Amino acid sequence: MTAIELISLVNQLLFVGLFVVVAWRAVRARSRATFDTALLFGSIAAVLGISRLAAAAEIVESAAIIGVLLLLLNLAPYAMLRLVDDFSGTPRWVQVAGAAAYLIVAALGFTFQVAPQLVELATIAWFVAVGGYAATAFIRESGRTRGITRHRMTAVAAGVILFIGAIVTVLTGALVAPANPVIGILGQVAALAAVLSFFGGFAPPSWIRRVWREPDLRNFIERSIHVVSIADDRRAIVELQQAAAAAFGATGASIGLADEQNGRLRYPDAGSGWLEYPDGQFIAGQAYRQQHRVVADDAITADPDHADVYAQNAARAVIAGPVTAGDRRIGVLAVFAERAPIFVEDDLWLLELVADQAAVLLEARMLAADESRLRGREEAARLKEEFLSAAAHDLRTPLTVVLGQAELLERRLARDPDARIDQAGVSRIAGEARRLRDLISELLDAQRLEQKGAIGERTRTDLRLVIDAVRGRHLEHDLSLEVAEPSGPIVCAVDRKRIEQVVDNLVENALKYSAEGALPEIELTTDGTDARISVVDHGIGIPEAERIRIFERFYRATNAQSITDTGMGLGLYICRRIVEEHDGRIWVEPTPGGGSTFVVKLPVAGVTRDPAVEAAVIEPETRPATGPATEAMADA
Amino acid sequence: MREVRILVVDDEPDIRATVSAMLEIEGYAVAEAANGADALHAIAQRPPDLILLDMRMPVLDGWAFASELRRRGHETPIVVMTAARDAARWATEIAAAAFLSKPFGYDDLIHTVQQVQSPS
Repeated sequence: MTAIELISLVNQLLFVGLFVVVAWRAVRARSRATFDTALLFGSIAAVLGISRLAAAAEIVESAAIIGVLLLLLNLAPYAMLRLVDDFSGTPRWVQVAGAAAYLIVAALGFTFQVAPQLVELATIAWFVAVGGYAATAFIRESGRTRGITRHRMTAVAAGVILFIGAIVTVLTGALVAPANPVIGILGQVAALAAVLSFFGGFAPPSWIRRVWREPDLRNFIERSIHVVSIADDRRAIVELQQAAAAAFGATGASIGLADEQNGRLRYPDAGSGWLEYPDGQFIAGQAYRQQHRVVADDAITADPDHADVYAQNAARAVIAGPVTAGDRRIGVLAVFAERAPIFVEDDLWLLELVADQAAVLLEARMLAADESRLRGREEAARLKEEFLSAAAHDLRTPLTVVLGQAELLERRLARDPDARIDQAGVSRIAGEARRLRDLISELLDAQRLEQKGAIGERTRTDLRLVIDAVRGRHLEHDLSLEVAEPSGPIVCAVDRKRIEQVVDNLVENALKYSAEGALPEIELTTDGTDARISVVDHGIGIPEAERIRIFERFYRATNAQSITDTGMGLGLYICRRIVEEHDGRIWVEPTPGGGSTFVVKLPVAGVTRDPAVEAAVIEPETRPATGPATEAMADA
Repeated sequence: MREVRILVVDDEPDIRATVSAMLEIEGYAVAEAANGADALHAIAQRPPDLILLDMRMPVLDGWAFASELRRRGHETPIVVMTAARDAARWATEIAAAAFLSKPFGYDDLIHTVQQVQSPS
């Protein structure tokens, strides 16, 4: 066997082998593209097979055989033309013209014996024209795609060029120099290169696939690894979606998180929230319900109920697969693109890997969240413990007086039933019993306010009425508070009793920590969106480092403890909770010239506000001070 | 018999008054101080035989007072009076002779004081 015969035999085996592979795939996954691929290699394999048989039977010269061979050979460029349409789309007229031209060229083949040179020229022209067009289209397509698809498309284009080259070389050789063996060798070598390229494009072996896929996967892992540390669920998912879309070079990706209890999937929406759908809704939902990947080349036809959503997201083709960790169903990943995947099995493979990686990341996030929830529960338990212990401490002191004084009275009476009543002792008992009562109600109030929704019904209230009520109560004790308020109403939606409690409390504090006779003033102002109630005193003031901590539970300013030791350190905490439940803020700033000014800011009723702007605007006074406050905490 | 002198240190005037009244009925001579600093001052004037000491006080608290007292070389026995739960631990910390957990009654107080005064 000569070298050329050997190459020829290898070529024949490879082309037939390739045909078997693509034919098998066309049977398994029926689509126009797999059919056209099978058509391309089927025609080539048929030509090779028939020539072998004909050569063996020594009937090569038969006009009918030559006609059939040419008919099959010329089918290859036509199949390429159809593949161009499958992969990147062509105008309809190209397909029609291509089909017509094929019929003409094929018919010409049966006139080979009449005018062989004309037929050969026509075949060369047909191959060069259509093959050139197809190769150009595949090269353009490879430039538009990425990752493994790009590699495969480039291989297909190379295969087309080499195959055309081989055919043209052989046909031209037959025309120009029929006896030159070099031309035959050139043709066989080009054909060998072509079939190897075609293998790379249409049926790449797994090791080549791995090499070609690796960068996409690496890219996804690199882009997505940090989502573990993103605190916000929604942002983490959005980042994961972007990384997935980038790995596929797709228009977008969508990740739905499953709630197995109620059978729903939630997806991040375009804004800052979530969209919830029952599973089974959308192509993604179907993939989740079936726990199997779903491919929709045309999403709108596959799921016409949500045509508008697919159109909005430029999601013409969708592939979706479940995201699972072991047996646990975490959610679903859908990738959408403007065009159907060219080599769908590669995209599905990548989908599976990306979904697995996403599952690992989401699982890690959930574990982290579980841990922080656990820490939160521990913290809550610790706070409760602290609360009980502080409460017990503060209740014991007055109880000591009540018990001691009562026992003293008891003894005195036992010794001498006619003894003069110890007026001071009785007053102490009564006074401390009242203090106990106040402490207990303060304690219960603070405990109630721990829970959300401790505030009663909120009604539209003119804050001037609140201030009038507070002022009125102090007038009864001959304390005439100075009030500065606007002439018009300032209406907020509040639980009026609670807001009165806040103002009362602030005024009581102001009186407690001011010199005898130095009365606090109340100011009520508004800027249109917020109302401000300021209680201005000229008392001892609050050290700067403690201006945030005084609103904490059980915290008492160090300079307040020397003045009175009756409080539990819950008053300002209660005020803060009430104000916060009203979506307001409370803080303290120094009064110019000495003393403290407590400011309560409440939203005015009926003003629409932008939550983003709200969040961005933080009162400078309420911003947690880092240095001194932390030190104070460490000291406590 | 010599009069036994007791110093009651507590920032709550009502507690001081109550404790003092009980001790006086039992025949002790009582002096009062509102915080650790006042107490050191009183001791310098006239050292007592026993100190009843609250722990949480402004200006100079129980710990600071106790360590300052020992530093000055006074060996006067101390009885801790506290509303905190771990009274026993604090008593050990400042090497007190005994402790009283608030709220305590008449008998608790007198028994403790007698115990410290004449350990049998």
